[in-house]
Amino acid sequence: MIFSWRILPATLLLYVLGTLASPTSETFQEELTLRPLRDGKVISRFSFTTLREGAVPRNPELLEAKDIPQYYTLFPLGLGQVLREYAASELHLSLNSGKWDYEGWGYPGEQEVGTGAQLWAWISDGGSATVDERWKGLRNALAGLFCASLGSLDDQRTTSPKLAFVPVGDLPAWKLPHQLRHATLPSENVCTENLTPFLKLLPCKGISGIAGLLNPHRLFDADWHGMSVHVSWREGRGIEVRLAFQAVFDPVRLSIDKKRDWSLQSIFDKSIRKACPVASSSRIVVELPKNEAYAIDPKPSIVQEGFAVYDTSHVEKDLDISLRWPLESVFSYPLDPPLQPLSPLSVQRILKGTSQSRGQLSVSIRNTLPSEVQAVYLETMPWHVQFYLHTLKILVNGHARDDPLSDIAYTPPVPHGRPALLESVLRLPPNSTTQLDMDVMKSFLRYTEHPPDAQRGWDLPPAVLVPLVNSTSFVASGASTLLGNDMSRRPRIYTRTLLVDLATPDFSMPYNVIIMSCTLIALTFGMVFNLMTRRFVVVKLRETPGRNEVPMEKTE
Amino acid sequence: MNWKDSQLSFPLLVVCRLLLAVTPFIDSLDLDHNHQLSSPTNSFVRLQEGLFLFKHDIDPYSGGSFYHSPLYLSLFTTILPTSRFLSRLVWTLIDALGAWALVGIWRERQNLRSSSRDTLIAAAYLLNPYILLPNLALSTTSFENTLQLLSLLYACRGRASPALFLASILLHLSLHSVLLLPPLILLLLSSPHSHLSNPKYFTAYRNSKGSLSNTLSCIGEFLIYSVILTLCCTMVADSSGWIEKTWGVGLTLPDLTPNPGLWWYFFTEMFDHFRSFFLMVFSVHLVMYVAPICMKFQHDPLFASFALLGVLGMFKPYLTLADPGLFLSMHSIFPEIFPYLYHPLPTSLLHLHAALLLPLFHSLWLTQGTGNANFFYASTLVFGMANGAALVDAIWAGLRIAIGGKEAEDEGEIAVVQE
Repeated sequence: MIFSWRILPATLLLYVLGTLASPTSETFQEELTLRPLRDGKVISRFSFTTLREGAVPRNPELLEAKDIPQYYTLFPLGLGQVLREYAASELHLSLNSGKWDYEGWGYPGEQEVGTGAQLWAWISDGGSATVDERWKGLRNALAGLFCASLGSLDDQRTTSPKLAFVPVGDLPAWKLPHQLRHATLPSENVCTENLTPFLKLLPCKGISGIAGLLNPHRLFDADWHGMSVHVSWREGRGIEVRLAFQAVFDPVRLSIDKKRDWSLQSIFDKSIRKACPVASSSRIVVELPKNEAYAIDPKPSIVQEGFAVYDTSHVEKDLDISLRWPLESVFSYPLDPPLQPLSPLSVQRILKGTSQSRGQLSVSIRNTLPSEVQAVYLETMPWHVQFYLHTLKILVNGHARDDPLSDIAYTPPVPHGRPALLESVLRLPPNSTTQLDMDVMKSFLRYTEHPPDAQRGWDLPPAVLVPLVNSTSFVASGASTLLGNDMSRRPRIYTRTLLVDLATPDFSMPYNVIIMSCTLIALTFGMVFNLMTRRFVVVKLRETPGRNEVPMEKTE
Repeated sequence: MNWKDSQLSFPLLVVCRLLLAVTPFIDSLDLDHNHQLSSPTNSFVRLQEGLFLFKHDIDPYSGGSFYHSPLYLSLFTTILPTSRFLSRLVWTLIDALGAWALVGIWRERQNLRSSSRDTLIAAAYLLNPYILLPNLALSTTSFENTLQLLSLLYACRGRASPALFLASILLHLSLHSVLLLPPLILLLLSSPHSHLSNPKYFTAYRNSKGSLSNTLSCIGEFLIYSVILTLCCTMVADSSGWIEKTWGVGLTLPDLTPNPGLWWYFFTEMFDHFRSFFLMVFSVHLVMYVAPICMKFQHDPLFASFALLGVLGMFKPYLTLADPGLFLSMHSIFPEIFPYLYHPLPTSLLHLHAALLLPLFHSLWLTQGTGNANFFYASTLVFGMANGAALVDAIWAGLRIAIGGKEAEDEGEIAVVQE
């Protein structure tokens, strides 16, 4: 008792100092969006936004100096420390699993849906540590934070595209410019071990509020699932961290009687029990079906523009939202008439050819809009597959053209070093299909560079198509609705990943090859030098009376 | 009509080659990507990619897999055509030039204006499948071989400046050709005639120019040409990045695309911490042949060049069939050694064996997928043995000829052995 009385003044003093030293206030908002799709699936999108008002990213020129103390209340400490340590101004990490079906599911709320891991960051130059050193530190720190193999996003996978990845927020106007570092690891999968550290970054963890619905058993059973972390800074507002989890569920698959009715309980196997007390806003938005009879329960707080909104900041009793189609006994997939694609642009990319030494990359882009669309096309290809740019052929509706491609920026790959980067602007004519065909060469790797499951092949990162229009006009014409706060941003369309089959050496052979090749070389060398150095002698085998004796003779 | 008359038969051979080159059937064979016929340092597809990048203001040496000399860039963006049809014609004419040079070397060696063997020699070059097929695949080794022969021809004629200039161009196209410089200079200082059967010290055969000061001036001239060409290359490429991507590639082997040589699989399977050591060993090993061969064949530097071409045709880092092909075709200008060849039949059989196995196992590994890398590696070992056998036998015969006594040996009265 006496002991605790003694430290009380000190504790009080620390508390007072702490409140004085943190002039920034932090707010936390959470939102869950649920969108039923016409094929019976449901997209759920969790978004947790923590805003640290008035905060500014760390200037890398001051990295040597001791950092000013940071006091976080709601802002995730682990992430904050990483951001301060490596002075990253903006950061986007996504870990996805599955292939996003743009035509069937429309344009995603969280637009970074490329399969595997993707990390991109805007880092300012300055200070003693170079951008690349800090980029390396950043990805290793995030690898530790999220238990993902982000450490493999090394120089062999890092690129700096110019057009496709523009900053989401603002970049501080420091003396030296910011640089972009972007890397993808398509073979990385998201799983429970990534979700646990993700939940730890939330102020209410997975205990209360909307985050309580994040049940790994159900999330990783979904048809598509992915998590992402976005850090951006806006002038006059502060640093914002947005953690998002997006998943596509199939209630028809989960239900016994093949109905598409769903509820929070049926999808997540959980319901909302209590609110997260520190959330300044918390809501669930359900997109309501159009031109169909449905029943939603309980009654939403607000219904507007086809959305039902539930305020979950004060939940007294269990909240289990359910959406039913009471007139439907069994869900039947809408097959007739043929479904209109939900996204106006769609990209298909395939790798043709059976040989292990070369192939053909074929990209087909369809524009269903009645107007011409300009789009940035980005390929970040590891050096395992190298482009033959001179073989690039463009077909628009089957006719060869060479004008749709402009502003080609190409960074050739370096074997064992860096990936290739191909970024160019494509003009997609209205209602057309543009096809790009290009020969590619498959590299031959050292035996130590192959992964343990070498025969499986290598995953190639998705290509990215960025239409140079803003999402509102783009999506409105595509008869799809976009929710959330990234309406102003350019949409970004990811192609599927590719699997390339590279030739493998025999992994059990290193000693044999060294021995056999060296034997051949040594034998030849030995025989040649034998001839060079040893004297020639003539040996008489028998006396021939008729012939003069050949004397012992030598050559030099 | 006399078919042996080279006035008539040489143009006829060239016309045959031209007709073959423009046959549409050749395109359907898809030889361009064949790993036996063109290696990364001389493939036509990579040359076209480099030219495409160069024309679009992207430095082809800033990365990627373009390992050709900037001289090719300047040639193909100015004089030479890049379309496939015209390229085939140019390539065939380059080969014809090589054959003409080989015939010229033969005439210089025999000191004749023309001979009945000319047609045979031209045919040995123009119809050698090891030379013909890489040419149809538009591999730039055809340029290297022709330059090599032309520089030897001018050296035989005693014209130092063209010989050294061509040799320095060749140095820019292929680093390892520098190993041919010592015999080339010896050839300039002595005579191209055959002295194999009468070996003496170099001083016995050297010509009026054969002095130390002349040797130094030859080396100096070569250096000056090389430096000028290096500056030209740097101007064309607009940086010195090409040095690492052309000369460096032959020493560090960054590209492990299969070829019929011995390097690629060795360094595919090499442990990382031993890689640089063995790269050094393989490069130094090649240099080690130069001095002994030049000393042993100081009486006949043309034969020394021939033997060194045999070494390169076996041990080059990025080997194509055209490299041993040049060595095999050059046999035709040394008919005096034929009787003394110890095992010509096993050598030919080994070559036949390798020539059948290489394409078969390559396709089994990379296209059919029913074989693995060891299949192709095994066939490159056979090919290496064939090249080794041809090299050792040629050197044996070149030394054995000095002793004579062929009839006595054939009748089993004597045997020539090494002490």
